[in-house]
Amino acid sequence: MGKYYDLLMKDYRLKEGLNACINCGTCTAVCPAAEFYRYDPRRIVDIVQSKDDAEIEKLLRSDTIWYCGECMSCVTRCPRKNAPGLIVMALRSLSIDLGFFIDSEKGRQQYLLSKDLCSNILDYGYCVYPRRFDYAGHPESGRIWEWEEKHLDDVFDRLGGNLDGDGPGVMRKIPQEDLDELKRIFDETGATERMENVRKAGERKAEEMGLSIEEFSSKVYNETNPKHLNQ
Amino acid sequence: MIYEGKQKVWSDYQKDIPDDHYFYVRSCIRQSFFPASEVTFLDITRNRLGKDIFETEHHTTCGGIAYHSDTIPQETVMTIIARQFALMAKNGYENYVCSCITSFGLYCETMETWREFPEEEARIKDILWKTCKLDFAKPKYLIHASDLVYKYRNLIAAQAKHKLINVKTGKPLKVVEHIGCHYSKMFPSKGVGGAEYPYVLVGMIEAWGGEIVDYPERRHCCGFGFRQYFIKGNRGYSLSNTYKKFESMEPFHPDLIITNCPGCPYFMDRWQYVIAESTGRTYGEEGHGIPVLTYEEVAGLVMGYDPWDLGLQTHQIDSEPLLDKMGIEYDPAQKYAGKNGKDIGSPICPTCLK
Amino acid sequence: MKNNVLIIGGGPAGIEASAQLQRLGYNVILIEKGSSLGGHLSKWDRLFPDGVHADGVLSSMLKNMSGVKSFTDTQVKSINRLDKSYNVILSNGISVLADAVLLASGFTLFRAEKKEEYGYGIYDHVITNADLEAYFSIGSDSRIDKPKKIGFVHCVGSRDEKAGCRACSKVCCATAVKQACEMKEEFPDAEVYCFYMDLRMFGRHYEDLYLKAQKEYGVRFIRGRVAEVSENADGSLQVKAEDTFSSKPLKVTLDLLVLMAGMRPSDAGRRVGDLLGMSVEEDGFFAVRDSVTSNQRSPLPGVFLAGTATGPKTLPETIADARGASMEIDRYLTDVFPQASDYKKLIREKW
Repeated sequence: MGKYYDLLMKDYRLKEGLNACINCGTCTAVCPAAEFYRYDPRRIVDIVQSKDDAEIEKLLRSDTIWYCGECMSCVTRCPRKNAPGLIVMALRSLSIDLGFFIDSEKGRQQYLLSKDLCSNILDYGYCVYPRRFDYAGHPESGRIWEWEEKHLDDVFDRLGGNLDGDGPGVMRKIPQEDLDELKRIFDETGATERMENVRKAGERKAEEMGLSIEEFSSKVYNETNPKHLNQ
Repeated sequence: MIYEGKQKVWSDYQKDIPDDHYFYVRSCIRQSFFPASEVTFLDITRNRLGKDIFETEHHTTCGGIAYHSDTIPQETVMTIIARQFALMAKNGYENYVCSCITSFGLYCETMETWREFPEEEARIKDILWKTCKLDFAKPKYLIHASDLVYKYRNLIAAQAKHKLINVKTGKPLKVVEHIGCHYSKMFPSKGVGGAEYPYVLVGMIEAWGGEIVDYPERRHCCGFGFRQYFIKGNRGYSLSNTYKKFESMEPFHPDLIITNCPGCPYFMDRWQYVIAESTGRTYGEEGHGIPVLTYEEVAGLVMGYDPWDLGLQTHQIDSEPLLDKMGIEYDPAQKYAGKNGKDIGSPICPTCLK
Repeated sequence: MKNNVLIIGGGPAGIEASAQLQRLGYNVILIEKGSSLGGHLSKWDRLFPDGVHADGVLSSMLKNMSGVKSFTDTQVKSINRLDKSYNVILSNGISVLADAVLLASGFTLFRAEKKEEYGYGIYDHVITNADLEAYFSIGSDSRIDKPKKIGFVHCVGSRDEKAGCRACSKVCCATAVKQACEMKEEFPDAEVYCFYMDLRMFGRHYEDLYLKAQKEYGVRFIRGRVAEVSENADGSLQVKAEDTFSSKPLKVTLDLLVLMAGMRPSDAGRRVGDLLGMSVEEDGFFAVRDSVTSNQRSPLPGVFLAGTATGPKTLPETIADARGASMEIDRYLTDVFPQASDYKKLIREKW
């Protein structure tokens, strides 16, 4: 029995998602990532079910498992009722817990994702918070967001929102006692621990690469090697 | 295309949607980018349909975006979800309505995991008590907000001031409907109409006079991809998938796109802008884009709400061509005005996109 | 008094068994719920692997049936065990005291519209294997319009947990390769693709057929299960599969798609099985007394099985199975009713 396979089988997403794959290719046929990246979810499921430690470790350290967009299109049609998308999520989870994610260019991006998304949840109770969604970092959000960002309070007021306000309403301020409960949930279920581990791994990697944290963050945010693409 | 074939599929996937007393939870992305949609949804449900829909200020995100970006473990998200359900029960409700599609998929996935692994449900119950002193509960009915509007689409049609019809030609508008992936791809039986030919938006469009456009990449993901969008280096994935959908729907010349997911309209709206600015390609008429609206916005337009109350001005693709087609009146001068006509300037125009 | 054998189902298995049992000297009654005998064979054009015409095979089988009392448009209304026999009341009002019952109820083709992602009954140019056989027999089908690119989808409703059928339907691969060759003959300029997961060419001459398909007809074989079918504005079909050999997703535009619908247990057969209290296995087909040595006997006394009622089979296998069932019935009746030997004599002149 492969030790990585055993670890993976502890994850409910593996228990739900792996039912023996017959390599029919239905998942890869409809996968958005398979069209654009050098990615094949069928092969990932085949490697996991082979229980081969060496191959699974390669996967956990690779860019490969980070190409998936978690759209779950693969789940709808698999004739064996497998869920490659869930299997990829379980692989990602293990890769983060073992610290392997930091090895790959795409995996390393977890440093920023963890920092931004978790802090949004703990600070505001939302995954996405408009005051933290800057036009400068997201020019694709359009001239409309460029304008909206400058007048956020007025726009929300106009549209009937309750931005940072008390009581119910759109984008309200979530009471501190509720945010405290979220923090306790994070502490108890391992989310805080994961945040910490990812942060420390990122800082270690930055030092290893001879970069300041700002340089490292910028590199992780902006760079992408063309070799990822399916040419 | 043989319509009767689709009707047989739709009749196989009916869903039990409760008729009143809803507990509403909001969507992070909907609130950020389409705040008026949620305002309109509650207004229609409470004041036009006369239903009881309750919101507590103590509810939070479900954590879905963080979960699908793999930043929080599954147990964390399951406990947050348990907390949301507990708040529902605490306030005396059993019909859970969520605004976000990713949330809906996640709620279904969590309940299914608890059903299959009762020991995990027991664990979460303990953690919930330990961290929040709340009693564990599960909703009797779990629906998405678009299911509610679908259920009452005929009541809305009865109160309609406008239809999805081109008033100049008298012909129905050609409408593309886009369903968020997490609505029914994981659990087809939980979606109205199933996964292949979902009916939740088709039903609305038909009730309101529009004509459905089916195109080859209809079921394809818009490309959000969570981490594939949030990290700039990955954004090409997101853009490419939306581009693929537009290239596929263009030969059908749709007048309008309706979606039921919070993220999808953002992407389908803004990527059109990016495609126009970087390549000059536009998909609407005469250099315009195809307007992408949320179902709440469309319900609002049909019922006669002012387009600027509905927040259409916060879309990058302008909706005026659509409003003109539908014969809806609007005051161009008030488009970007703040509350009570306050002048808050206006955005710079894109160079290519009209 | 001759013993009665009731055969339920007038397809190839029922026809063959009825002829055999009549020859052995029994009083054979055959009932068929449809208006004519022949089952699916009567609706087929040509058979694999050698392209023999189905109607020829059927008529030669029917010729051997003289003496058999057959009733079409007839079904079982009720059936009760009485001492050593079964009292069967038929829908035409006739009552039969059957000393042995042979259930040869055959199969129903998987309803391809249930694989919604393939669009059968929704898109204009998607048909099934049965539709194609009908096209070859009749000569026209509005969905077949001078196609230049034709695809065959293997395993529709088979090997598919989501469709409720884990089992392989056995005969569809050979049928697909046969039909691919026939389409190439019909439309020589068309490109023909077979999308398969595994190619089950298990029988005698099947691999020869596969080789012929590749060399003589240029049929293209793609190892990848069709995931999704959509319709373009002009009615042509967009088909997505993975080419698993190169590990890349592919998309093809086709003018016609043929779905190889699998074999499911017959609904009518299940109804009769329920009346008798017959058990079925997980795959939905009837349980047999022993899957190696006693495939034609049901666990119930005096009830026998033949043909696809016990699972997918080819036509030669069905005929052999029917002959085996006939032997089993003969042995059973001479054991249980020793007087049978008084009237039994082989009717030699027919053979």
